[in-house]
Amino acid sequence: MKGDARGWRMALVPDALINPPTLARAALPDALGVLEAGGYGVLQLPPPGQHALLLAVIADEVAEYAHHGYAVVAIGVHGEPGGGLHWRRLAPLLRHRGMAPPPRFSLRPDVDAAAERQRFAAFLSGHDLPMEEQRRWRV
Amino acid sequence: MEQDAPRKVALIANCLLNQNAKVCEGAHYRGVVSPVVEALRSRGYRLQQLPCPELAFAGVRRWWAVYEQYDTPVYRAHCRRLAQAIAPLIEQYLRRGDEVILIGLDGSPSTGVRFTSSKPDWGGRPNRPEDDWEIVPRRGVWIEELEAELARRGLPPLPATGWALDMGRFDEAGSRRDLEQFLDSRETAAGSRGDDSAAP
Repeated sequence: MKGDARGWRMALVPDALINPPTLARAALPDALGVLEAGGYGVLQLPPPGQHALLLAVIADEVAEYAHHGYAVVAIGVHGEPGGGLHWRRLAPLLRHRGMAPPPRFSLRPDVDAAAERQRFAAFLSGHDLPMEEQRRWRV
Repeated sequence: MEQDAPRKVALIANCLLNQNAKVCEGAHYRGVVSPVVEALRSRGYRLQQLPCPELAFAGVRRWWAVYEQYDTPVYRAHCRRLAQAIAPLIEQYLRRGDEVILIGLDGSPSTGVRFTSSKPDWGGRPNRPEDDWEIVPRRGVWIEELEAELARRGLPPLPATGWALDMGRFDEAGSRRDLEQFLDSRETAAGSRGDDSAAP
């Protein structure tokens, strides 16, 4: 794609990481900053609650990306139900759309935030589709 | 208590957090549009990403299109479904007294707020020369349907602006100035009222 800057990688991210409560900010790395630095796009999951239709819409989007050469990961928060990812609802929605659940990474608020940031950045930089898949789609 | 205090919430176009949603050759960033995120976060806004209507409808490999090509009953029905998916969350914010604003994507046929792209004779084989469309002052189809859904729920119109990514030639510095002026005018207005916007 001429002159197109897209990174071809994206992350499913819980609301709690995009809008962390004040107390959690010091305990967790700035997930959005790390994702931005890594060239990842973000698909935001809703806060806790019933969001059946919205999750179905998000699953449609994720499957569309996954079927066309984009790498998708899911970033959870250790200690949150389902990592904050609505996993019990989202995983079957993705399977129903012919997509295996994406690789997951859990951020831990109970460890050193700087070290956790490094671990997170390393996970992101190490993840992508196999080269033949990249060559197939990313032209 | 932090959890009870009214908050500032910015509804943002899907591609402002994920440039992979853009039409081919339309991505100006790898992923997150950091100037938008910085401007909002530095002013204390929570971010709420909207769904991308074009991606879910026409796919990631879709052709470029203008307002008139998306102005169809089926695309509008699709946009209404997305609006019904996100509206309960927006309603929650408004009913708890949060100040909610909308940041769309000016020039987009779907997500334009102040401007959309128009060319009534586009159609058929995609062989149009570059920058052939016109920019006209009106909402995109998705924003029209989202606002209609919020109105159906008895919710007030949202203060809104657009990040001028799809206006032909992208001027990041100008777009940033524009966005910051909009946000700062909200601060000034809230300050002169001595409060923030009222819940419906």
